[in-house]
Amino acid sequence: MSTTQSALDLAEPTPVRWRQYAVTVGRILLALLLLAGWKVGADVAGPLYAADPVKVARRIIEDTASGTLLRHIYVTLRLATIGFAIGCGFGVVLPFLLRRLPRLTAAVEPYIMASVGVPKYALVPLFILWFGIDDAPKLWLVGLLVFYPVFIAVFAGIRNVDRRLINMARVVGASEAAISREVVWNSLLPFFFASLRIALPRAISAAIIAEFLVGNEGLGFLIENSRQNFDTTGVFAGVVVSTAVVLVINGVLVRLDRYFNAWRPVDRDMDI
Amino acid sequence: MTAAAEPLLEVRDLGKRFAGRAGRDAPAWVIQGLSFSVNEGEFLTIIGPSGSGKTTLLNMIAQIDVASSGMVRFQSQPAPIGDPKALNPGLTCKIGYVTQEDNLLPWRTTLQNVLFPLKVQGRLNDETRAHAETLIKAVGLAGFEKHYPHELSGGMRKRASLIRTLVYDPPVILMDEPFGPLDAQTRVQLQEDLLRLWNLGRKTIIFVTHDIGEAIALGDRTLVLSRAPARVAGEHVITIPRPRDIRGIMGHPDFGTLYQSIRAQVQ
Repeated sequence: MSTTQSALDLAEPTPVRWRQYAVTVGRILLALLLLAGWKVGADVAGPLYAADPVKVARRIIEDTASGTLLRHIYVTLRLATIGFAIGCGFGVVLPFLLRRLPRLTAAVEPYIMASVGVPKYALVPLFILWFGIDDAPKLWLVGLLVFYPVFIAVFAGIRNVDRRLINMARVVGASEAAISREVVWNSLLPFFFASLRIALPRAISAAIIAEFLVGNEGLGFLIENSRQNFDTTGVFAGVVVSTAVVLVINGVLVRLDRYFNAWRPVDRDMDI
Repeated sequence: MTAAAEPLLEVRDLGKRFAGRAGRDAPAWVIQGLSFSVNEGEFLTIIGPSGSGKTTLLNMIAQIDVASSGMVRFQSQPAPIGDPKALNPGLTCKIGYVTQEDNLLPWRTTLQNVLFPLKVQGRLNDETRAHAETLIKAVGLAGFEKHYPHELSGGMRKRASLIRTLVYDPPVILMDEPFGPLDAQTRVQLQEDLLRLWNLGRKTIIFVTHDIGEAIALGDRTLVLSRAPARVAGEHVITIPRPRDIRGIMGHPDFGTLYQSIRAQVQ
């Protein structure tokens, strides 16, 4: 999508270099400040309550070398991915089906919206009761937590589609399927990506929390198990790794968003 | 108009009203008792004050909106009355519609937008693609094929939306004030483009405008609509011979009389 850049004829001066450097330097300074704060806090609180960042780093390196950490990450990611796929799938497909059935939509909508209010984490004991202690209850939790933001965004996106574009497409002979694919889907892509910004980190968090409660593998298990063994360094290592995983996923998502929504004029104005 | 030939499009006693707001207002008639017909290959211009239901009329002919009463017949086929579900927008690609807004897909480039009808009709091949490129050049959009709509000027977007309709060659084209918001220079340029393209293909065109000069310069015949509820307030055959010189048309001896008599009817 580099064509967008070349296509622009805006007489914008090339951004001043030092501004970009200033932002980078600022970020590094902030990171150092946070690390220093962590270190001081850990020293004050003592090793039982807060782990020393150096020890945490050493622990992460050790666990990576031994392979156990990668295994835990894999287990959590697998759970989060499958749960995400299920929740996201329903979240996208359901609004598209409801689009064709306006009366059913009107009837069902208040119930769906009411069910948003149910605290999903509180349902885990029920899920365990109903679905056992394997992947199933965890997938239910992850799936539900992903479903709502995606469903609500896609639902709103579909309602926001410009009627005039749909009429235009109909007049030039587009089938309903082609209209869904081309006009509706592209109109709601920005909504969809906004919802993924919420749903993807949620999928990871939900997987970790599910692992607190059931199972003997995954980042959630690592954190909870360390806590039970009074291994505060292990807890901190788990939290740091989880955060890193979420950050990486967010980075990928931002790239995807830029790629798919490259046509949008706003992206350019967001430059520093 | 010979009596033998069946008109291509016939509108008789057409009425349209929109539902009032939740019981507060009575539904008001926008169009009532409107009748006219259009022959094949004719360039009909329709003029009327703003709010006189011109767009609504075109929407009903294109079947994206449903008539409340009366009759619209295209190629002897009547349009459904009162039942929006039975509509067939664009009448299976026989009626093209250049709307007032350009309605380009903002996430598609100029070329992709122009090719869109061919793509959804499953008619995209080397030949139609070459035709599309010819049209792009003909209206001066060459070099802007990969631009997105928001990167084009208003005039360019209008041209793109115009050739998006021309590209799939519908026998009838409806145009709703397509050059309305443009500056005078671009407007004349586009009017000339349109007449040139029309001369090549001789399609049936129904062209709505609020500009009397434009209605005379382009049309074979001009209908004047009254204020809402719209009816035909007057009909004028434009006697100025073709090919016409748009820039010099005001100098034609018939122009002044036509202008005066149309103006007297547009209130």
